[in-house]
Amino acid sequence: MKTFSKYWSIFQITLINSLAYPGELAGRSLMIIPFMWIFYQLWKVTFSAAGVDSMNGLTLRDTLWYLMLAETIELGRPPIARTMSESVKDGSIAYILNKPYDFLIYQFSTAMGETIFRAMLNAIFGGLTVLWLVGAPEHPEGFLIALPAILGAWVLHFCINAMIGLSAFVVEDVSAFSWIYQKLSFIFGGMLIPLDFYPQWLQTFAKFLPFSSAIYGPARLFVTPTAQIFIHVMTLQLGWIIALIFLLTIAYRRGLTQLTVNGG
Amino acid sequence: MTELKILLAIWKTNLLSAMEYRAAFLTQVIGMLANNFIYFAIWIIFFNKFKDVRGWGVNDMYVTFGVLASAFGIVSLLFGNAFTLSDIISKGRLDYYLSLPRPVLLHTISSRTIASGLGDFLYGFISYGLSGYFSWDGLARYVLAMLLAATVFGAFLILTQSLAFWFGTMTNFSGLVLNAMLTFGIYPITLFDSYAKLILFTIIPAALMGAVPAEFIRAFSWQVLGELLLGATGFLSLAIFIFHKGLRRYESGSAIQIEI
Repeated sequence: MKTFSKYWSIFQITLINSLAYPGELAGRSLMIIPFMWIFYQLWKVTFSAAGVDSMNGLTLRDTLWYLMLAETIELGRPPIARTMSESVKDGSIAYILNKPYDFLIYQFSTAMGETIFRAMLNAIFGGLTVLWLVGAPEHPEGFLIALPAILGAWVLHFCINAMIGLSAFVVEDVSAFSWIYQKLSFIFGGMLIPLDFYPQWLQTFAKFLPFSSAIYGPARLFVTPTAQIFIHVMTLQLGWIIALIFLLTIAYRRGLTQLTVNGG
Repeated sequence: MTELKILLAIWKTNLLSAMEYRAAFLTQVIGMLANNFIYFAIWIIFFNKFKDVRGWGVNDMYVTFGVLASAFGIVSLLFGNAFTLSDIISKGRLDYYLSLPRPVLLHTISSRTIASGLGDFLYGFISYGLSGYFSWDGLARYVLAMLLAATVFGAFLILTQSLAFWFGTMTNFSGLVLNAMLTFGIYPITLFDSYAKLILFTIIPAALMGAVPAEFIRAFSWQVLGELLLGATGFLSLAIFIFHKGLRRYESGSAIQIEI
């Protein structure tokens, strides 16, 4: 319990810190507004050209709310890989490694502390924009049902980003890996196009990957909050979380043996 | 002529400095190429299912995405500090450039190279090559349109970041407008109504960085070339004017800065 309270305190400190500059926090979250507006233009024209109200079970309204949650998850997550890479480059990692806490859980606590308000503001700005454009979601309760999956998505994002960040122990600059991960999330996570609109073979493949558990799963659960989808999303997500935590722990132990600290 | 010589010397130094960390340089260039290919795959999936958006097909996207990537890349490579100009202003880091007998704006923005820009620059040409619109005279138009689009983009960065002279730190605002410019630039222009198009030619001139250059590349037209030239010279003149107007308000932080 004492161990847990240590990380809870780290989480709380970061959470309060993230509120220190409310203008900056709000300013950063405004970015979701033009994104949602342009998505609306694209999908309005696409649905109208297809001459249908619903495609693969999603209406224009569902698609917009789906994209809002997908963007909220993506824009809410902090750049953990970059932070870790910078701490390796400037040597400040030495001060974190010699403290009486686990490096990975410390990073997770700070990442979650940075995520909460950032994601909340994205959801508010994005939600208001979509509400204005297409009206309320068909299942507003879907947000509460999708909440565990959203939390799971952040854990998954953390695991993958931390692994990218750990590669800084070997290569120092990890920005290229971060870009590629982000774009793989876009394509296999259904960030810009819901996976339901993909060709069948690609859908089957993408839905099995961790990217879809981190974006498509929670967003689809939000617009279609059925028990069947909930069980499917949570089971797959849990499986990936366990697998990735295992891989992350191994990567961390191996990475430590390769770390060279420059100054600090 | 002297300014051009100095500019070439700065670029050479930047390149040598970037090449000092060869592995990091290559990782960034190859990583950005891969990043763009993966990103564009989303559009291939989209157009594979929906065929076109009001007459705008995947081939048009190849050209638009390509010219935008190359324009973004060349500005990143040659004028990397244009992306962080507001930070340089608000942190008093212009002192260094003001103390030297060279044009402040040109010297400041050209003093950094963003290595990944080379990946964007090259990707643009590949994207154009894959578009199905390739021809040798088209390639000449591509280069001209890309340079004009880069001028608009660079000017837009200078313009928005120079607001830091009046409002101080502008990191979030700069990020917001930069993202808006790039996002609106790569989406089909046919999506937007006339009001939105007016914004895309003026406040956020994304059309002058994506759709209009792409139109010129596909087929020569004096009218489109005129629009591009007018946009590029207009925005560049405005950007230089605003920067120098703001420079009169600049106050040094008296901080000790080291520029490498």
